Amino acid sequence: MKPHLKIVACLTLTVSAAMSGCSKSSTRHATMPPAAPAPNYFKVDPATAGSVSGSIRYQGPRPARKPVDMSNEPACVDANHGKVYEDSLVVGPHNALANAFVYIEKGLEGKTFAPAPSPVTIDQKGCWFRPHVLGVQTGQTLQIVNSDPVTHNIHPMPQVNREWNHSQGSGDPPMNHRFTKAEVMIPIKCNIHGWMHAYVGVLDHPYFAVTGDDGKFTISNLPPGTYTLAVWTQTLGDQQQTITLAPRGSARVDFTFHGK
Amino acid sequence: MKLRFGQSTCARNRQTRSKSRVLHFAAVVLPALSGIVLPGCERNVSSKPTGTPVTIATPLGLPTVPIPVHNPVTADAIALGRKLFYDRRLSNQSTLSCASCHLPSHDFSDPHRISLGFHGAHGTRHAPTLFNAAYLPSQFWDGRAASLEAQVIGPAFNPVEMDNTAQGVVANLEKDPEYPALFQKVFGTPDITIERVENAIASYERTLLSGNSAFDRYEFGGEKTALTAQQIRGLAIFRDPNRGNCAACHTINAHYALFTDGKFHNIGEGVDDEGKFDDTGRFDRTHLASDTGAFETPTLRDIAETGPYMHDGRLKTLDAVIQYYAGQGNSNPFLDKEIKKIHLSAQDRGDLVAFLKSLTGNTPLDEKPAPERAVHP
Ligand code: HEC
Ligand code: HEC
Repeated sequence: MKPHLKIVACLTLTVSAAMSGCSKSSTRHATMPPAAPAPNYFKVDPATAGSVSGSIRYQGPRPARKPVDMSNEPACVDANHGKVYEDSLVVGPHNALANAFVYIEKGLEGKTFAPAPSPVTIDQKGCWFRPHVLGVQTGQTLQIVNSDPVTHNIHPMPQVNREWNHSQGSGDPPMNHRFTKAEVMIPIKCNIHGWMHAYVGVLDHPYFAVTGDDGKFTISNLPPGTYTLAVWTQTLGDQQQTITLAPRGSARVDFTFHGK
Repeated sequence: MKLRFGQSTCARNRQTRSKSRVLHFAAVVLPALSGIVLPGCERNVSSKPTGTPVTIATPLGLPTVPIPVHNPVTADAIALGRKLFYDRRLSNQSTLSCASCHLPSHDFSDPHRISLGFHGAHGTRHAPTLFNAAYLPSQFWDGRAASLEAQVIGPAFNPVEMDNTAQGVVANLEKDPEYPALFQKVFGTPDITIERVENAIASYERTLLSGNSAFDRYEFGGEKTALTAQQIRGLAIFRDPNRGNCAACHTINAHYALFTDGKFHNIGEGVDDEGKFDDTGRFDRTHLASDTGAFETPTLRDIAETGPYMHDGRLKTLDAVIQYYAGQGNSNPFLDKEIKKIHLSAQDRGDLVAFLKSLTGNTPLDEKPAPERAVHP
């Protein structure tokens, strides 16, 4: 038995030394997208492009904000210097609704858009996903950063894209991920800290926006046409409106969501 | 490269066991060398120790140490193996001994993430503890060596580890005035061969045992106060298939605990963002897709002392390890299904870390000679 093993050991040692080098580079290559013919990207004509903007409001009772209990993770408590509140419904001054995801749902069929070259970043900071709601294009890089002194395990839970989860320790380098298919919305959780939630909307075009505390949004560089503009909210449902954009036009659309 | 093959073939010829694999290997790889007669290859030297076999006393919590028939353990073999373990002449230019990477002061593992190889060249893996390696069904993270004897040739011939050749080792040791007498004492003749070196080191490794920890005294010694209340909770979580599920792989038996099933599992450690493994682990040996990224379950004995953790030493602390498991690892197509069963609350995580700290044995200091004392000048 023994001589057998030694040959195996001896051979594989030498061979594996040689192989591990090339397997490394081959994995690298394998992860690159195959050299497909360059897609025929749609070119927006700046002479005719317009924009759509508006604001999203909330009407209804303001439920008391629920504090988040992080007491079992002292490092997370420390990072927040005080109370942290749930952010499923964030209403700013003048009933402005924050964290609404506004996007073109219909009207761009048949056009292919180049993915934005710069990444979108989601940070895990204070044991919280920042931002809470975000959008990316298919093929655009989502960069995941951990600024916390603890490990997180980011876990997007899509229906049509591939589900995955990956642990990221304190001080680990950023992770990069790309979604391949349009999907609104993909919930993201942290497998370790049950209170951490985020939502990412994936679209095969660049026409989307997330409202801030002022409830406002602007989607620009949009070719003229007729579109369905949709709004996703975490707890108040979705709404749509049809808009028609003339060449160099600027449409204004407001939405009001009602709470119970 | 040719020389290295030539020399190890010589070493095998000395054993005069011609297995078909040897012939196949020689026919395919060595035609150019077949005409060369290497000195010392003709004699058949037994590498079985000749003295009275001894029993290795096992501490509480460990089973009897398995001993191969062809290499009975004798007191002299252990002593010779120990001397060799600390001898830097096992490496090229005498820079490294086994203890350089398996530091007795670090419970026979390496405080560096990846072991520094010969001349500081990087290997790719973290050096595990040698405690209780005697019980493992196979050696190394990918199980490429089937015994402690077969394993010695690994480090000594891995150019990244000790960068030496069988003949180089033998020549180095033959220059020493003490060794021939010591080999004579152990094996009956003063010949120094690589098989003898392997057998002696393996015998010494069989004495590197860790048991009689607080856990053992609680679990097997009936000492109910040996663990704290938190550690007792941690042990329950460790065993509970719906919480830690750790014992599914890090096994605890009725009368002993090795904390390893000796099998290979993919726990997602080392996979990149794209689901690929730079180090494919067990797959390298079996070429079975299901073995991709699988590594041999390591023991958890003395685990508080042997960081950093995992085959690539990526996790620095036990807290980080437990958080890693709490997140259910990293998804990849070959992730072991047992990992998905892990559910740990924050309190469970603290309790588990406390429990892992109860696994440090009380191996007497005499098993861990200071390298200065043991390394031959
Ligand atoms: C340069 C650093 C280095 C030196 C020197 C070294 N080792 Fe190792 N050892 C390692 C690493 C790294 C591993 C893990 C390698 C792997 O799994 O591929 C290892 C693995 C082992 C294992 C397997 C343990 C297990 O749990 O699977 C044993 C046994 C071992 N070494 C014994 C020795 C002996 C005996 C020597 C001296 C002849 C030695 N080592 C010298 C770095 C070293
Ligand atoms: C599916 C089998 C499996 C389960 C379940 C499992 N482990 Fe592991 N464990 C492994 C394997 C395999 C490794 C080595 C992985 C690697 O290096 O990539 C490992 C590594 C470790 C290490 C690092 C050891 C070292 O020397 O580097 C620790 C600590 C550990 N496990 C503790 C635990 C705890 C605690 C649990 C329960 C929460 C657990 N394991 C559950 C298989 C398992």
